[in-house]
Amino acid sequence: MRIGIDIGGTHTDGVLIDGTRLVAAAKTPTNHDHLLESISQILHLILAGQDPTGISTLNLSTTLTTNAIITGTTDPVGMLVVGGPGIAPENYRIGNHFNLIPGSLDHLGTETARLDTDRLEQVITGCCDQGVKHFAVVAKFSPRNPIHENQMAEQLGNRADFVSTGHLISGQLNFGRRIHTAYYNSAVARSFRNFSTALTASLRGFALKAEVNILKADGGTMPLARALEAPVQSIFSGPAASVMGILATTPVSADVLMLDIGGTTTDIALFAAGQPLLEREGIAIDGHPTLVRAIHVESIGIGGDSLIYINDSNVQTGPQRLGPCLAKGGTAPTLMDALNVLGLANFGEVGQSRDGLETLAALHGRKGRQLAKEAVETAVNTISTKIEELIALVNSKPVYTIAEILEDREINPKKIIVIGGPAAVFKELLASRLGMEVKVPPLHGVANAIGAALTRSTSHLILTADTTKGKLSVPMLGIFRPIPRSFNLETAVEEAKTLLIADLEQAGISIPASEIQITQADTFNMVEGSYTSGKNIRVVAQVQPAVVARLDENAALVAIAARL
Amino acid sequence: MLKAKSSLGVIFFPAYDWAISPTHPEREERLLYTQDQFREEGLFDIEGISEHRPLFATDQDIMRAHFCFPSVDAICTESHRISAGGAIQAARLVLEQETRRAFALVRPPGHHAMKVVHGNRGFCNINIEAVMVEWIREHYGRKRIAIVDTDCHHGDGTQDIYWHDPDVLFISIHQDGRTLYPGSGFPEENGGPKALGRTINIPLPPRTSDQGYLYALEEVVLPILAAFKPDLVINSAGQDNHYSDPITNMKFSAQGYAQLNERLKPDIAVLEGGYSIKGALPYVNLGICLAMAGCDYSAVREPDFDPVALREEPDTMEYIKQLCGQLTDNYFRPKPGAFEKQGEYFIRERKIYYDTDGILEKQREELKDCDQCRGLRLIKSSSSHLLPCLGVELPIDCCPACEREAYEQFNRKNDDYLVVQLLDQKNKQFRYRPKR
Repeated sequence: MRIGIDIGGTHTDGVLIDGTRLVAAAKTPTNHDHLLESISQILHLILAGQDPTGISTLNLSTTLTTNAIITGTTDPVGMLVVGGPGIAPENYRIGNHFNLIPGSLDHLGTETARLDTDRLEQVITGCCDQGVKHFAVVAKFSPRNPIHENQMAEQLGNRADFVSTGHLISGQLNFGRRIHTAYYNSAVARSFRNFSTALTASLRGFALKAEVNILKADGGTMPLARALEAPVQSIFSGPAASVMGILATTPVSADVLMLDIGGTTTDIALFAAGQPLLEREGIAIDGHPTLVRAIHVESIGIGGDSLIYINDSNVQTGPQRLGPCLAKGGTAPTLMDALNVLGLANFGEVGQSRDGLETLAALHGRKGRQLAKEAVETAVNTISTKIEELIALVNSKPVYTIAEILEDREINPKKIIVIGGPAAVFKELLASRLGMEVKVPPLHGVANAIGAALTRSTSHLILTADTTKGKLSVPMLGIFRPIPRSFNLETAVEEAKTLLIADLEQAGISIPASEIQITQADTFNMVEGSYTSGKNIRVVAQVQPAVVARLDENAALVAIAARL
Repeated sequence: MLKAKSSLGVIFFPAYDWAISPTHPEREERLLYTQDQFREEGLFDIEGISEHRPLFATDQDIMRAHFCFPSVDAICTESHRISAGGAIQAARLVLEQETRRAFALVRPPGHHAMKVVHGNRGFCNINIEAVMVEWIREHYGRKRIAIVDTDCHHGDGTQDIYWHDPDVLFISIHQDGRTLYPGSGFPEENGGPKALGRTINIPLPPRTSDQGYLYALEEVVLPILAAFKPDLVINSAGQDNHYSDPITNMKFSAQGYAQLNERLKPDIAVLEGGYSIKGALPYVNLGICLAMAGCDYSAVREPDFDPVALREEPDTMEYIKQLCGQLTDNYFRPKPGAFEKQGEYFIRERKIYYDTDGILEKQREELKDCDQCRGLRLIKSSSSHLLPCLGVELPIDCCPACEREAYEQFNRKNDDYLVVQLLDQKNKQFRYRPKR
């Protein structure tokens, strides 16, 4: 059996799943000061009457790192950054201990200026004097050659409690993002370690011996031990849990849109041929772009609690939110009230919705029903426009080969799956506005926890080989080793698969080779003068997000145990 | 975070699956390291710098700029259509005001492709700037356009296409034709009889570095542009003038190129040549992008950049000053050319060699000396591989008499031309004579 827990901004949801059957589901308010308490409450609810020894896996999606960053309860990080020529690294300054160390590498990984170890020593001493214990070492082009990052980590030695090393975090080229990613990784490391220790103790209390995995924003999981090294990967996993919840409850094989309509926001995601689309490079944290892989989720400020107001005789819905709707005792009319007035919903005290909208409408010489109609139209239009923009964006993404230009298949979703509180209410409205089939799957109340429970591990690696230099690089695994001149694309692809499988095995995850996807496999003739001097090979291998099982749709729904 | 002062759209299309041949300079690897540099620098994370995919140039798009013999398909493959489509996308972004400026970083290049094309010359099949310029005029009306070609080689193709067009100012800054392919681009090449002064050539001596290039820009290019007052400035941004380029002899640097673009302020830049793919392109392209976007580029430099070795030699600088002193006259006071005339037609007879494809073209151009319009143009062209073909061109301001004569030529039933193509800028008709 598997447990899935999604700690959200408002609620913490949990499910217990046996194969394809939902055994128990629960919901409780999130206690942001004591996340563990919310987890315990959920475990109490879903484990009632169950044998905890039969549970093999516990997958957890947590807001811990997000909260630490938002509330500023992170640790100071000594940033040791090697830039060199190009865009000034000063543009990526982050935190209070951002230090530039002279040295440089070029795009082939050739050292063009040695690392200034004297300056490095001064900087480290300065940080230590200020009590800095967490560090991040990042050099421009480190995925091509880790020498400077490794030198810095070595020189830190045991003066650091935690070090994030740029090339181990991502093999992707993007210096600024690598700096930010490494910073946040070190900044949240202590909070995450403390949480992990407490969680492990708590699970022991429940007699749970399950393996614990942490959800990532890319819709996959990582083992807790890996999360301790890369806690930044646990950020913003909530929307990913919802997306995976759809995959776990509804068969998706075509191009499909997903909408998660909540109280404050609506999240939009896109599936291409059944696969959730990822961000091109990574998500932004607190306005800083990073290399954290994530499902591409567009969020807009439209939800059930979105405020309705009239601005220059135009009816507006959201993005402000003012507590609950009138029907639930709120003070100002919201989208939910408008839906009540139109008879599309029957939520709480419908009479209060009607009175409130009538009052607001009267102030502007209108009728309540007309106001409600316009408010709902505005909301549906805003959502629809965003959907159209997202589809256009995805279809205009850059491509780099003639074959892709000629053969590129346009993503053209004909179906929307809507989840979240007001999902059912929006079904017809969206169907008629977008001309797409709209489906509201069952179990939508805890789809996110189901997604968490059933999603599997994801991983990826970037391999580059330069046979002129006779060098193979797999930065994320810290592999930089010589290769023979005969090394070719075929060997590179095999090597990438083997290394990815081996790395997952080391983390206790077994994935068959057939599940490894090669998303890039290119080889370029390198020419010196007019002779071919070697090959430049680039391979990206990944285990894409997927669910281990799909819930049996015909199985009876269980009641959601709630402690609200 | 970094922010662009003027927004820039970059059409980055490296054509990773296309090469002239596996070891040819124009091969798959050419923009690989530029992309690595862009990615590592996070160029597209800069607010206001965006990446776009190319459009696809249709037969009509190409036939507005060229006489393709025997057919468009025989001349260009998909790669050429996409490269030209990249330039079109750049123009679209700017003219639709989606971005303030645009840079088509595409390959293969095009500036050696002339009005008539039989095959590949100097790595070029179709002239992607010209296809773009004609696309602009088709969709946005008649415009004054300045093309400043900074590729190390003379932009002989673009010069040829706009030789008779007074609406297009073509300025080429290149390594002296006495020392480099294609061996043309001398100051006396100054435009056709109806467009005198609209072609300006600045042949710089070998080993010219940043100082010399920027001197020519300040003393010749910018004053002429100020007088011409173009609606659009286009930079044919070849990068083979770099000090590390394997097939040329200049000493231009990434810093120099960035400064040139900062001062030239092109609305659109289009990549042309440039084959120092590891040592130059990553830095030059980064410098151009940052300069066009109004971002700080002061720290962009090549790892082996040596300001002392790249300093302008006094002799070279003296030569450049002498040369530039006379060149503005070519725009402001062009000398009346010695154009050959037969009856009421100006005649040009030429042989053109297509080095890449080994084709020798024989061409006779007849331009009517009309006092009502720029005059109808007939180009009779045959090659070592092809029987005589005819191109009939009507200028945008074509008068009724020239129009009538042109259509008579195009519609004739019993001439011996293998292929006849109509390029009617006035009525926007671009087609081949139906085969009998």
